[in-house]
Amino acid sequence: MRIVVCVKQVPASSQVTIDPETKRLKREGVAAEMNPFDLYALEEALLLREKLGGRVMALSMGPKQAEATLRECLSMGADEAVLLTDRAFAGSDTWATSYALARAVEALGDTDLVLCGKQAIDGDTAQVGPGLAAHLGWPQVTYVSDVRQTEATHLVVERMNEEGFDVVEVRLPAVLTVVKDINTPRVPTLRACRAARRATVTTLTAQQVNADPANLGLGGSPTRVVKVGPPPARRRKTLVLDGPSESSAERLVHELRMHSIV
Amino acid sequence: MPAGIENGVFHVELLSPKQSADDLEADLARFAERYRRILDAGHAVCIPDNPMGTLAFHATELIRELALPAGNGRISAHINTFHTRKNLDEILAMAIDLGIDNLLTISGDGSPRLPRLSGGDLGENVHSVTAVELLKHVRRACPGRFSIGVAFNPYEPQDDELEKMRMKVDAGADFITTQPVLGEHPAVEALHEFGLPIVLGCWMSKRLYLLSECVGYEIPQDAVYDGLENLRALTGRYPGCGFYLTMLGFKTQFPQLGEVWPRDEEGEA
Repeated sequence: MRIVVCVKQVPASSQVTIDPETKRLKREGVAAEMNPFDLYALEEALLLREKLGGRVMALSMGPKQAEATLRECLSMGADEAVLLTDRAFAGSDTWATSYALARAVEALGDTDLVLCGKQAIDGDTAQVGPGLAAHLGWPQVTYVSDVRQTEATHLVVERMNEEGFDVVEVRLPAVLTVVKDINTPRVPTLRACRAARRATVTTLTAQQVNADPANLGLGGSPTRVVKVGPPPARRRKTLVLDGPSESSAERLVHELRMHSIV
Repeated sequence: MPAGIENGVFHVELLSPKQSADDLEADLARFAERYRRILDAGHAVCIPDNPMGTLAFHATELIRELALPAGNGRISAHINTFHTRKNLDEILAMAIDLGIDNLLTISGDGSPRLPRLSGGDLGENVHSVTAVELLKHVRRACPGRFSIGVAFNPYEPQDDELEKMRMKVDAGADFITTQPVLGEHPAVEALHEFGLPIVLGCWMSKRLYLLSECVGYEIPQDAVYDGLENLRALTGRYPGCGFYLTMLGFKTQFPQLGEVWPRDEEGEA
């Protein structure tokens, strides 16, 4: 099975700020990391390869710095890494991004499965995976929490919904977006990290993947961000312990300490 | 009994390179140089396991990949609960293969990027795995193979900490390593009750405020602190203990260690 995993380099979650004028995330000078949900997509691809054989290719769109994220994919075990980088991509929204990625998947050829994280933590739109499927004309399953069955022509997956999960059969090629419940991403070894830093990351331009410039960048992006604001405060769960307050507090603290939670 | 509970032998903490290092090869070279320097001076090397939840490389893979000497009784590899069972098995196997003698088992600092051992992974019916279950597991998996240390925090409520320590001792701990002690701490006396060798933590950086979270109160950023002076005080106040040096300065402090705590006349460590 030939699997493409789409990964995104995002600002480290603790350092995110928004430019008040452009309403865009400030990325300059901010530490970057792989979008956490993409780690699960990559891990699932590696698990499928271990089970079925084949190759795993990591694909990202972004500036040259995004190579670091692709090298992390190589250190985890991806066979190849491809960076889609071109000035023509600058300012692309999720629609233009998914268009570019779809052209890249087509240009790379012979792909059976595309895996994405359920969303990126910077934009939080969860639109690129579905957009990619739409541009490719492939079936998609979002919020996948388990791959139950793998066949040459189709997969049976578990898909989370608000009340539980659906079991879905999807023919290949297909696009899946995955949630954190699906697996535990591996931690790269030192040997793999060293090899990944020496490995070649292939770069492709818009022209090399036959992407129409009219569909890229700001010009190809129908989305306009008109306002950005903080989300409403979350309600926190309250744990109630019965009995006198002093003994309840003591009990709670004791239990937490005994479990090394505090 | 860990190496270094003897005059003049310090347990020197050596942080492993981070996975996100900009120049990994340079960081590895510096790690190897310092590792050898510590051993050449007769001290023990202690290598934390993903401290503060930051992805770094484990002691075992560093020693193997960099072909560093390890079968000398002077290496202490930390091991925490933030691993998969498979990874834990690999670490233990590699530690045995390399001839590492000392392990420090701790609960550790997690992060979303790190997996955590479950009770089921270790055959324990517990909600969360702590250093106690980890220690029991290592004892079961590698009987008689390692000298295993456990951590003690003098800044947590003492009744709870001492109860936890009792559980760790009952699980088979061989020695105790504490969080940094500033000058003296009454908890050290209580630790002697367990009858195990004690290695006292000593903070060596001038930036004492970094310890604020550990000690549970705010230490001002301009607090004046001399790690070597504190180390002198500790060696005088607590004879018979070992000393674990955190954030040691290799340029200025390391060359002075011999003066702080001279070796026995025989010069043997």
